[in-house]
Amino acid sequence: MTGQTLPTHDVAVELLVEAGAVLASSLDLATTMSQVARLTVPRLADLCVIDLRDDDGSIREVAVASYDPEIAAPLEAMRRQHPLDPAGGHPVARVIRTGEPELLAEMTSALMRSFAQGSRHAKFMIDHRYHSAVVAPLLSRGRTLGTLSVLRLGDGQPYELADLELACELARRAATAIDNARLFSELRRVEQRLEAVLVNVAEAITLTDDRGQMVFANQAAADLLGASTPAELMSSSPGTIMPRFLVLDEQGRELGLESMPGRRLFAGESPGPLLVRNIVRATGEERWLIVRSSPVTDPESGRILYAVNVFENITEVKRAQLAERFMAEASRVLASSMDYAETLQHLTRLAVPQIADWCAVDVLSESGEIERVAVHHSDPRRIELAERLDRGYRLGLDEPVGVPEVIRSGRARIYTNIEPDALAAYARDDGHLALLQAIGATAVIIVPLAAPARTLGAITLASAESMRRLTHADLALAERLGRRAGTAVESARLYTERTRIASMLEAALLPESLPEIPGAKLASLYRAAGELNDVGGDFYDVLAYGADRWLLVIGDVCGKGPRAAAVTALARHTLRTAAMLDLTPTQMLDTLHAALRHQPSGPDMCTVCLVTFERRSAGARLGVTLAGHPPPLIIDVDGGRTQVGTPGTLLGVLDPIEISEVDVELGADQTLLLYTDGLPEANRTGMQLGEQTLFEPGVQAPAPTLAGLLSQIEQAALRRASGRLRDDIALLALRLT
Amino acid sequence: MTSRCSHFALPEQFSDKITAMGVQDQLQIAVRREADRVILALDGELDMASAGLLEHAMEGVDGETTVVLDLDQLQFIDSTGLRSVLSALEHCKERGQEFAVTRGSQQVQRLLGVTGVAKHLRIIDAADEVLA
Repeated sequence: MTGQTLPTHDVAVELLVEAGAVLASSLDLATTMSQVARLTVPRLADLCVIDLRDDDGSIREVAVASYDPEIAAPLEAMRRQHPLDPAGGHPVARVIRTGEPELLAEMTSALMRSFAQGSRHAKFMIDHRYHSAVVAPLLSRGRTLGTLSVLRLGDGQPYELADLELACELARRAATAIDNARLFSELRRVEQRLEAVLVNVAEAITLTDDRGQMVFANQAAADLLGASTPAELMSSSPGTIMPRFLVLDEQGRELGLESMPGRRLFAGESPGPLLVRNIVRATGEERWLIVRSSPVTDPESGRILYAVNVFENITEVKRAQLAERFMAEASRVLASSMDYAETLQHLTRLAVPQIADWCAVDVLSESGEIERVAVHHSDPRRIELAERLDRGYRLGLDEPVGVPEVIRSGRARIYTNIEPDALAAYARDDGHLALLQAIGATAVIIVPLAAPARTLGAITLASAESMRRLTHADLALAERLGRRAGTAVESARLYTERTRIASMLEAALLPESLPEIPGAKLASLYRAAGELNDVGGDFYDVLAYGADRWLLVIGDVCGKGPRAAAVTALARHTLRTAAMLDLTPTQMLDTLHAALRHQPSGPDMCTVCLVTFERRSAGARLGVTLAGHPPPLIIDVDGGRTQVGTPGTLLGVLDPIEISEVDVELGADQTLLLYTDGLPEANRTGMQLGEQTLFEPGVQAPAPTLAGLLSQIEQAALRRASGRLRDDIALLALRLT
Repeated sequence: MTSRCSHFALPEQFSDKITAMGVQDQLQIAVRREADRVILALDGELDMASAGLLEHAMEGVDGETTVVLDLDQLQFIDSTGLRSVLSALEHCKERGQEFAVTRGSQQVQRLLGVTGVAKHLRIIDAADEVLA
């Protein structure tokens, strides 16, 4: 027998060293078990048997090694066919129960029969001359996994205590290896189940270790991170994947690897979900991702082993949300300013960098020229490039491509990838090409600035250094922007035109200049409420009235717009004609009343104040006649005010009218003020002119000049109305000289 | 860049137009019928924006012998508002109805006085006052 060698110290050391090397080499249970069994034969044993206890307590798994295959194979088969009784008297079962090793120095036939699993087993042991045995427990993590049995056959030297110790030492090492192999196979099973789940989920999932090495990735992750297979991802070195992308937060700030939730986990933080805008550097493709990471910790040490990273692609949702937000902001900007060029400038600032690196707006002037009204880039030095381009190479409406073509056709264009050749073909000369190259547009969208009936110009959006790809979704958004902005610009133009017509009409209703009255100074002021868009009904006039008399007229026609303008003209001219006919003020107003009453389009309503003026040696004589109009004021040097006149019926709607003329003296230091209802109505409290409400504290009348006084009154009225007058204000003032 | 086309002004008062659409916020008219009298109680401001409401309310007034505009809660009236009151007066004259108004705020009284309209109106102290 070869197995009779004494377990000398050298043999023991050699065996244990070899065990260390062999046992570390595999994590497969069957391989590990047979390696352990083979280690012992022939140095320590003629036959080695490893029995393992299952979770349910049965003893099923077995590995046998022997110098003689005629022994090993049948024994292994017999063990599998007739498993040992865990509660029985077999030494293996006993050791598994107690965890204590057993030395069976001399195995007699009687002894073997006492624990055999049936007569075949006993016969096998006796036939193969079982002689001496050590059964050592396989102990790991406080549990007995099974036993390592070494046996000597035939006439060899029985095992001694030293052999028992060596077998136990070997069993301890083997137990650790077997335990690991078992855990590993368990882990593999779990992993396989997990993987089966993960490969099928839509979200990209990766598992990274503390060095950032990817140890797992599903196909969705490979697709998202630009690899053809998960294996390709997992073989990439840590930190080589992130640089393929430009990763930005919602505010457009670039994020580094250390900001990623997976990395922050390993830094001891508890990161929440992170929303990132991710741009593929190679293609310019933009995605919006939510990145969530959760730790996989070692249950014993609590150390984080892995980070599970889940990437949810929310690009579509985010795009739609951003588009809506952008349009809402654009609508707000477009409605915010009086000046449409300024508005369009704001609009370009809104578009950059949200949807493009460049944004420019060109409009078609009335003379058919293309004018650049706004351009923006986040870097002012680069705006200078665009301005040089605009100055040096102004676009002509007949050019075949680009902005002119979009303005002519009214159709949006998208150029997703601008090739250098195309740029060279487009450039007029080398200087042009150099500027275009410096601007560096890689993709361009041009949409019409579309008003309901015509194209007013074009909005150009370009992607350059960000490499952002412009998509058809961007085109759709830009077209909406073009329509919204076009409508706003058109409204502004129409509005301005109406305003211009209105103010022309307005001017026609007021005297171009006031006449010179000997011994008196005159001043007037007209302030339209709102935006001059509707013609107001206020009017005033100063007319020669006989030889040395003058007539001051102020009036207010009810309503606004063309009809009020027509009635105002009627009132003014009726009074002029009446004055030439030398009618008295009361007769004049009766005439006007009748004219208003018998308007072909129905009666119109009007209030009038007439003041006749006659210079006397020391002062003047005034005749005041009121028809529904607020009474004029006489203002003293010290600011005291007196209302003059008797209220009379307004004209045009009520019969009969009651009006009367009142004589008043005007002193040398006094000022006569005629005004329309816009002034008292400037605030809503119903204050009376003539009381202190006309002038605010600090505005003391009379001002040094008449014009100064009127301006002070206007300013005070504006302040009371918080800048927004309800009605037009007309003021007419007279002071003696 | 911004000055070239600055003569085009954006319509600032567009926002006001929207407010004006909510005229109800500005003027509310409560119609109350008592026996042969209909009382239209005006609360708020009667001006260019809201005068149409009164005209509309008057279209529904027909059978009663007396129509009263209760102006006690009317804070403000302008010339267009005044005109709608005169239209209401006209409406009643044509149908042979009595027409009266209550005094209204200081501003309302001032305008009725200054325009001479007060003399053409029957002004009463309370909306349910018995007319002689």
